[in-house]
Amino acid sequence: MTYFFQYLIYGLQLGSVYALLALGYTMVYGIVGMINFAHGDFLMIGALGTYFIAQAFESFQVGSAYPMLIIGLIILIAMVGTGAIASGVEAIAYRPLRNKPRMIALITAVGVSMFLENFPRALPFIGPNPRSFPTLFQAKNLDLFGATITTTQLVMIVLAVVTMVVLYLVVNRTKIGSQMRAVSMDKDAASLMGININKVISITFFIGGALAAVSGICYASAYPQVDVYMGSWLGNMSFVSAVLGGIGDIRGAMLGGFILGIAQIFATAINSTFGYAVGFIILIVILLVKPAGIMGRLVVEKV
Amino acid sequence: MRKMAMLEVKDLKVSYGAIQAVQGVSFRLDKGEIVALIGSNGAGKSTILRTISGLERAKGGSILFEGEELVRLKAHKIVERGIAHVPEGRRVFPGLTVTENLRMGANLLRDKAKITESLGKVFDIFPRLKERERQQAGTLSGGEQQMLALGRALMTEGKLLMLDEPSMGLAPIIVEEIFEVIKRINAMGTSILLIEQNAFLALNTASRAYVLETGKITMEGDSKALLDDDRVKAAYLGA
Repeated sequence: MTYFFQYLIYGLQLGSVYALLALGYTMVYGIVGMINFAHGDFLMIGALGTYFIAQAFESFQVGSAYPMLIIGLIILIAMVGTGAIASGVEAIAYRPLRNKPRMIALITAVGVSMFLENFPRALPFIGPNPRSFPTLFQAKNLDLFGATITTTQLVMIVLAVVTMVVLYLVVNRTKIGSQMRAVSMDKDAASLMGININKVISITFFIGGALAAVSGICYASAYPQVDVYMGSWLGNMSFVSAVLGGIGDIRGAMLGGFILGIAQIFATAINSTFGYAVGFIILIVILLVKPAGIMGRLVVEKV
Repeated sequence: MRKMAMLEVKDLKVSYGAIQAVQGVSFRLDKGEIVALIGSNGAGKSTILRTISGLERAKGGSILFEGEELVRLKAHKIVERGIAHVPEGRRVFPGLTVTENLRMGANLLRDKAKITESLGKVFDIFPRLKERERQQAGTLSGGEQQMLALGRALMTEGKLLMLDEPSMGLAPIIVEEIFEVIKRINAMGTSILLIEQNAFLALNTASRAYVLETGKITMEGDSKALLDDDRVKAAYLGA
């Protein structure tokens, strides 16, 4: 039973990483109808960026950790920076192809992903070698039903849930949120309402990138090693999460992320190789049984 | 001397790839008028409206609205200038409620009180929408969706309202109701550019009309005169 809770905690921790990243996949899919295969690399940019930002703030370090205010500042810079790169990628690579067949955007996304992984790899001050991620939080161990949960894990899980709730409220209650929904339903009709669809799509990519940065920081705080390829595997798993939950649905992305995280940890506990396979087994099963995903519905439109 | 037209389209050309959908069309609309563009399917009517709105790019020519060139402007900027467009096939937001759809039309308005006032005005014109306030637009009947699309366009507070086939796919009784409203909207001071396949209906609503054939204007004049014209009768009125 102790093991069960311990695995559950690890699962929720990994799940929060997947969930935060899956939110970006799902939002971008919802609004422009494309799978942004470069999205996982935004996680890498966020994590690797945080490594360098933390270095720049090294003089503020107390012991082996940073004061809360500085942590907040580091995370904020990483989020804004990654968000800006995500918007930039959209403007340069995807916007010119928006009215082209979807396959073209898909292939471009794969290309962008290769670029984002290999360009920093070629830069002398980044390079291909993994680096150890700094300790941002000074973690304390807490006891939960005999299992151990660190404050870092607790912060991550809570942060992921809070982010989802905030995002859900933004999309459903605010003006920019209603503009996003309008653009996702009908771009022509949205522009006839005076909505600047380029701006709305830019903002969506920005939010997705910022969340990917948080996800990267969470992941690197738990598994403190960062390199330029870390985003691709995590990206794939998060994409599966988004599909599992019902792509295009914010709550679904969250749910799918946690289900996949927990499933992967329990499967790894049984057999370490099986842990990696479980995501794809889930993907195949969901595509066979309920292709729209757990929260997804097939929308009926009247014309 | 004629006063400046509200909308003046000159030698407009639009192509889709190699196909020239609009081949040098010119027409004008004065403030307060209802002008109709009639013509059969594929004559280029919708393309003209879509180009005025900025949804399509013009290959050549000019579109002057209150003296300002629209050809290079983005769609959302053109809405700001005061042109509301009810697109073909109504294009309401299916997953949003009736009220949410209408509020989307008020996207550019900042003043909350003004939005509530406009909403009230639209519900006055279409009591049926008031009854269905909280219903998702995708579940409305065709006629109700047309009313919603019209109401949503009115919420943008445009000076010129462009209607693309408002009668399409609707029962005759609903069509009559919609066209009554169109005349009322015009009487309240909004100029209207109307596209219709149903030429009889269009000519009875508009003061002037242009006949469009495969991307060119072939006839123009007062609606009354066109209604009596033998060629129009033969081609569009089934006489």
